[in-house]
Amino acid sequence: MDHLTRLENKSIYIIREAYYRFKNIAMLWSVGKDSTTLLWLCRKAFFGKIPFPIIHIDTSYKFPEMYRFRDERVKEWNLKLIIGQNEEKLAEGMRPGRGSKLDCCNELKTNALKKVIKKYGLKAILLGIRRDEHGIRAKERYFSPRDSQFKWDYENQPAELWDQYQSMVEEEEHFRIHPILHFTELDVWNYVKREGLPIVPLYFSKNGKRFRSIGCVPCCSPIDSNAQTIDEIIEEIRTTKTSERSGRAQDKENIYTMQKLRALGYM
Amino acid sequence: MKSLSKKVKKALIIGLDGVPYSLLQHYLKRGLLPNLKKILGEGFSLFQMNASIPDVSSVSWSSFVTGVNPGEHGIYGFTDLIPNSYSLCFPNAEDREAPPFWEILGRTNRKVSTLSQKYEKKIDRPLCSIIFNVPHTYPAYPIQGILVSGFVAIDLKKATYPESAYSYLNSINYMIDVEAERARKDKKEFMSHLFGCFEIRKKAIYHFFENENWDLFFACVTETDRLHHFFFDASMDENHPYHQDFQNFYVLLDQWIKSLYEAFQKRYSEKGFFMILSDHGFSTVKREVYINRFLEEEGLLKLKKEGDFYERVDGQTKAFNLDPCRIYIHDQSYPRGSVRWEEKPDLLMEIKKRLMKLKGENGEGVIDQIYEKEEIYHGPYLGRAPDLVCLPKDGYDLKGSLEKSEVFGPNLFAGMHTWHDAFCILPEDIRLSGKLSIEAPTDFIMKYFSQ
Repeated sequence: MDHLTRLENKSIYIIREAYYRFKNIAMLWSVGKDSTTLLWLCRKAFFGKIPFPIIHIDTSYKFPEMYRFRDERVKEWNLKLIIGQNEEKLAEGMRPGRGSKLDCCNELKTNALKKVIKKYGLKAILLGIRRDEHGIRAKERYFSPRDSQFKWDYENQPAELWDQYQSMVEEEEHFRIHPILHFTELDVWNYVKREGLPIVPLYFSKNGKRFRSIGCVPCCSPIDSNAQTIDEIIEEIRTTKTSERSGRAQDKENIYTMQKLRALGYM
Repeated sequence: MKSLSKKVKKALIIGLDGVPYSLLQHYLKRGLLPNLKKILGEGFSLFQMNASIPDVSSVSWSSFVTGVNPGEHGIYGFTDLIPNSYSLCFPNAEDREAPPFWEILGRTNRKVSTLSQKYEKKIDRPLCSIIFNVPHTYPAYPIQGILVSGFVAIDLKKATYPESAYSYLNSINYMIDVEAERARKDKKEFMSHLFGCFEIRKKAIYHFFENENWDLFFACVTETDRLHHFFFDASMDENHPYHQDFQNFYVLLDQWIKSLYEAFQKRYSEKGFFMILSDHGFSTVKREVYINRFLEEEGLLKLKKEGDFYERVDGQTKAFNLDPCRIYIHDQSYPRGSVRWEEKPDLLMEIKKRLMKLKGENGEGVIDQIYEKEEIYHGPYLGRAPDLVCLPKDGYDLKGSLEKSEVFGPNLFAGMHTWHDAFCILPEDIRLSGKLSIEAPTDFIMKYFSQ
């Protein structure tokens, strides 16, 4: 079995296992390349018809290309889409550049997701995070699942409680499951290529610049690149020394550091 | 054959984050810490010690582990601005410009300092250290031994060296730090969380202590600092609902110190080097004091509405403050800085004068001491230092927040750090001239291993 097929099998196994264990499950889709890969794997796992909803947390500051891509896929792949928004905070004028970016991310992303989870009573969320993406996303378990009946030991890849960095999981708890944790950035691009997966055009070079990681418009900056095709992107990543999220304003590790410091009265 | 005949030496160092000298004295007198009392009777002395300035853990522990002042190790706080910008950054062990003592002992130091130059030729073989949960040692660098970083460590994998240490810690569901966020929601639950964290910390410490080889073992407990932040008002007040829990924590701490001390004596029958220290003291809080708001009201700081943290600093700004009270003059090294070099001395004088006039409850002064950087720091990284640093009177918790509309605010925390009231327990044959400062005892460790 080749490398990509092995990765794919592992992911599909986890997705099916998760669905079997938690009926009330959903997938989080940011429209970026990783969660689009996960979405594709979910389709494969259930032969084209995903039996659970797909959540898109809409901060309302995403790129127009992302909204277009989202709506096209929803139609084409017949997805049950839930759009999550923190309407109150948006109405209050919360936006990147006003106040701290930490608060903005917290309100428009984290709290918007919490609301969705609560509203739909979700017990588990599938996420497209990868172990090599960032230090903070490497496997780290702060808690064991509360339910002692729950056993999950698929090749040392435990299910983790959602929101492990702020364990204030209110009322109901939910598991976060990472079916593509074992993919690297390069694996994702090789897989996108092999599967002929559609991808948001922002990833391809335009006027000598492309986005390597996408999110909200004010908080993402493109990198210098002439990679206009997937092959060229693969070649670029193979040789690059800078980190994938270097164009992202809010570094996860910094956010966590800020939270820790704030909890002790700093900042 | 000389090296074979040389006596084997072992050291055990215990760090207790935020434990004040005066509280230890008080609890010793009341008989709450019988084991510590017994140890003190076996040839050790308890001293009051000054923390670093500012008295935050990142700076204080960096000063202790390097044995040099911030002017030489370059760490002035948990936060800093990227040079020539307004972007907030979080310095960590990579930014520490002087080597910690275990790197000098293990001959793995990548940087040099006055301490390393003094001792590197006197250590005749690489010594093995286990460094456990010491704040501001993240990310974990390869050392001669084992390193598990403490606060603010984020990713356990990056916080451990070598990999086997990670596997073990992961297997016991080790927690790098208590989750202070939980204190806001439920104090009772947070108190039991503190005890739980201390248990898992002890378990991990015993594991490395018993199962690994080492010449020096240094473990820190950080639960004490968290206990104090949220419950320090319970330390003396017998009617406080958490008084008993607070004392119980110290009773457990006392028992743990005893068991580790006895295990050290058992493992190493000859007289080894043993010390215990804290990185700062604690007092209760009367008021929080927002220095940036003060600067705004004095017309020295102007903030734009847009931007993240210090990106809001406007061109008209003369000075701004970073936690807890590090004041920087907005000079021309900043993109929008307008204060000319020749204006700086007068401006510093003016800010000092106005800060000393700041009055708290009953008209008492808020600020105890103000230092210009050259007065307290020296070394190649003096340039990174804040222009002014203040030490408050006990009870006035100085803050760097940019979001406040009043200079004074209610205390959200039960305890605040103090500079003058850290402690150190040292072998009684060590003679001191004057009050200890936290970067001083490091030399005693190096001396012990180099004799």
